[in-house]
Amino acid sequence: MAVNLKRSSGGGTAEVNVSRRRMLGWITGTGLVGSGVLSALSNFVFIKPRATYGQPQRFSIGKPDDFPAGTRITLEARRICVVREGSRLAAISTTCTHLGCIVGLSDTGFACPCHGSRFDTDGTVTGGPAPRALPWFKITLAPNGEIEVDKDIEVAPGSYLTL
Amino acid sequence: MRFALAIGTFLILFIHGVVLYNQFSHKWERHQIAYFDQARAQAKSDAERAALEDRKPRIEQTVVADFGETRVARCVTCHIASDDPRFSGYQQPLKTHPYSVAMGDVQKDGRWERRHKFSEFGCTVCHDGQGRGLSPEFAHGNDEFWPDPLLGYATQPTWRKDLVPMLRGKEYLEANCAQCHPGSEFKGTPTVNRGMQLFYASNCYGCHRIEGMSDGTIGPDLSEVGRKFKIDYIYARIKDPKSVLATSIMPRFNMLNDEDIKALVIFLKSRKGRNFSETEMERYHLRATGGAELVQAHIKPVAINPAQMVKQGEQLINDRACTACHKLGAKDGAIAPDLSFEGLIREPQWLDAHFRNPRSTMPDSIMPSFRFTEDEFKAMTAYLSGLRTAPPAPTPEATYKALCLRCHGEKGDGRGPIAEHLDPSPRDFTKAAFMNSKTMTRLVGSVRKGVAGTSMPAWGKLLDEQQATNLLGYIQTAFVKEARTDLKPHTVPETNPVPSSPESIKRGQATFVENCAGCHGKRGDGKGPNSLDILPKPRNLRNAFFLETVEDKRLFDSILYGVQGTAMPSWTDYGFDNNTVGDLVNFIRNLNPKPKGGQNAGTI
Repeated sequence: MAVNLKRSSGGGTAEVNVSRRRMLGWITGTGLVGSGVLSALSNFVFIKPRATYGQPQRFSIGKPDDFPAGTRITLEARRICVVREGSRLAAISTTCTHLGCIVGLSDTGFACPCHGSRFDTDGTVTGGPAPRALPWFKITLAPNGEIEVDKDIEVAPGSYLTL
Repeated sequence: MRFALAIGTFLILFIHGVVLYNQFSHKWERHQIAYFDQARAQAKSDAERAALEDRKPRIEQTVVADFGETRVARCVTCHIASDDPRFSGYQQPLKTHPYSVAMGDVQKDGRWERRHKFSEFGCTVCHDGQGRGLSPEFAHGNDEFWPDPLLGYATQPTWRKDLVPMLRGKEYLEANCAQCHPGSEFKGTPTVNRGMQLFYASNCYGCHRIEGMSDGTIGPDLSEVGRKFKIDYIYARIKDPKSVLATSIMPRFNMLNDEDIKALVIFLKSRKGRNFSETEMERYHLRATGGAELVQAHIKPVAINPAQMVKQGEQLINDRACTACHKLGAKDGAIAPDLSFEGLIREPQWLDAHFRNPRSTMPDSIMPSFRFTEDEFKAMTAYLSGLRTAPPAPTPEATYKALCLRCHGEKGDGRGPIAEHLDPSPRDFTKAAFMNSKTMTRLVGSVRKGVAGTSMPAWGKLLDEQQATNLLGYIQTAFVKEARTDLKPHTVPETNPVPSSPESIKRGQATFVENCAGCHGKRGDGKGPNSLDILPKPRNLRNAFFLETVEDKRLFDSILYGVQGTAMPSWTDYGFDNNTVGDLVNFIRNLNPKPKGGQNAGTI
C-alpha cells in the first residue's frame, strides 16, 4: 500500500509516493533518535548538584544597627567582613584567593596568616602570592529589616548598600 | 510488527520527554518565581527592587548544628516568603510565618522581630518533618517511613483514621518547645504541663519510669518515648493499649477524655531523653536524683477533713485512677481484684499497709506503690473499709459468679479475667486430683480464712460454714466433676521432730539446692528454671505471710507425699525421710523471718 504525502520542498509542493514501510521506518527512526537525544540531555542534570552541603550561600547577618558606622566586623563562620562607612554597607570575602586560608584584619586592610598575602581595605592585593583581589558579595536589605548577604553573587568592589 | 515498533519508539520518546521535564522542572522553582514576581510587584523602593535583582530560583537551606544532630532545613525553598512580612495574607507555601508574642516575638517601630530566628533555629527543631525534602510529601513526612512527620499537621497513611482528628493541632508543637524549655512552670507549653500533671495524677508514674521524674518498673521506661514513637502510636497506646499490643497489661484509663489523652501524648512526645538547654552537669544531677521527690512535688495533696474522710477517700480513689485496674461498683479496670465489698474481706490495717506498700502484705503483688500523704492513706482506707455491702448471692452458683469468677474463671480453671495479673495464680478447680486430695476442712478454711500472702481474701464475713460448704459443693459438681473419696490419712509428724539449728539448716539447704531449686529456685522464691513450664507455679517459699499460716504437718505432707494435681512429686519415692524433711523445713522456715505486722489474713 502506498501513501500519498504532500511534502514541501524548496518553493513548490510535490506529491511524493512513500511506501508504508518507509513511513514506519521514519517514525521509528525519529522516536529512537529523539529518545537518544533526550536521554543524553537528561544527563546534564547531574553536571551541577542541585543542593550543596554546608552553610547556605545566602544568609542573614542581623540588623544594620549591629554594625555601627565606621566599623569593620569579620564574621568568622560566614567568612566575610562587613564594612560599614556612614550609612553604607558592604561585605568582603575573607577567604584568601591564594589557597583559601581565612584572612584577618590588619592595620592596612587584610592579611593572610598562611603565606603573607596582603590586601588593602578594599581587598585589592598589595603583596604576597594572592592572585586576585578579595571579592565583594551582594548585600541587600531583606523585607524583614535584616541584612542579607549572598555569596553566590559577586559585585564590583566599591558597590555599597546605602541604607 | 513494524507498526508496533513505531508506536513503541514513540512511547519511549514520550517517556523520555516526561523524565526530562521532571528532571529540569521543579515545583519549588515555580513557587520561587511566583514569589519573585509578587515581591517585585509589591516593591516600593529601589532598594527592594535591587534586592530582587539577580535572584534566580535555587534550593535555599539553613544548616543548624546547635540542636542535636546537624539539621539541614530546605523548607525555605518552597516557603521562601516565611520571613517576608509582606506576605502574611498569602496562601501557603508563600505565606509569612506568623509572628506570635507567646513565642517571644516583639514589635518594634511597626516591625516584628523574631525571638527564634530561622537562621539560628532552622525549621525542624520546632516543626519536625524531613528538612532535606523538596517535595511536600517527603518534606512534611507524609510517607509512612519518616519517623518525625510535621508535628500536628501531617498525618501518615498508616495512621488509624479515627484518631487522625485528634492528632492534629498546633498544641503538638509544644512537645518540641519543651526540648529547650523543660520547666513545668514554663507558660509557653500549657499542654505539656497539663500532660505532666496528668502523668502524676493518673498514677502513670507508678508503672513507668521517666528519667528524673518517676521510677516505676512495671511498664516500659518512657524517658525517650518521644524519640522512639510517633504520636499516633502513643495516642493509640494510651487510648486502648490492647489495640496496639495484644499482650499489653496496661489498663485503659477510662477517666481520661480525648483532650486529656492528647495532653499526655504531647507530654510524652516531649520526652526525648535529651534537653538542648541543660548542661552535662545538670543532666548528671538529674540522673543521680531519684524520682520520688519529684513525684511528691508534682502531686497536689488533698487536705483531708476528718469529718468528710470517707467522702474524700472515695473522691481520691476515683480521681487517682484506682479503677483503671480495680473493680469498684460499675467501674471495672479488669486487671485487679474487686473492691466493691472490700470492708468485708480485708481489715483496715491490712488495707493501710497494702496501700503504702502492696508487697508488704502480698509479696508477689504487681501493684505499684503509689504516693499519697498520710491523711490520704487514712481517708482511702476509711472509705474502703466502709464498703460492707455483700453482693446478693442467693445460690452457691450465684455466689461463685459474684465472688470467685473474677479470679478463678467461668470454667473454674483458674483463668479468670484478672488471673494473669495475680501471683500466685488462682487455684484451678478442674484439677480433680488436687481438690479431692485435700480435706474439706482445709478447703473450707481456705475459703473462710483466705490464703495469707496471696490475693485470696478471707470470705468468712460473707459466707458462714454452711454457705462455704455449699459453695464447695457447687465447685465439686460444676468444675471438679469427680466425686470425693475417703482420704487415706498420711503418717506425718505433728510438729517438726528435728530441732532448728545451724547444722540442720545447712543440711536442709544442701538438700534444697540439690533437689528443690530446679523448680522453687535457688533462693526459694519459686522462680527456678523449670518454673516456666509448670502450672500451677511452684510456691514462693519466701512468702512469709503464707508460710506463717502453714503448719509443719502440712509441709511434711506436701514434701513427703507430694501435692496431687501439681508438679510437686512425692519425695518418699526419692528416699526422703522425716529427718531430711525436718532439715528442709528448718531451712525453709529460716528463709522467712517473722512478718512484721500488717498481715492478718484469717481474722474472723
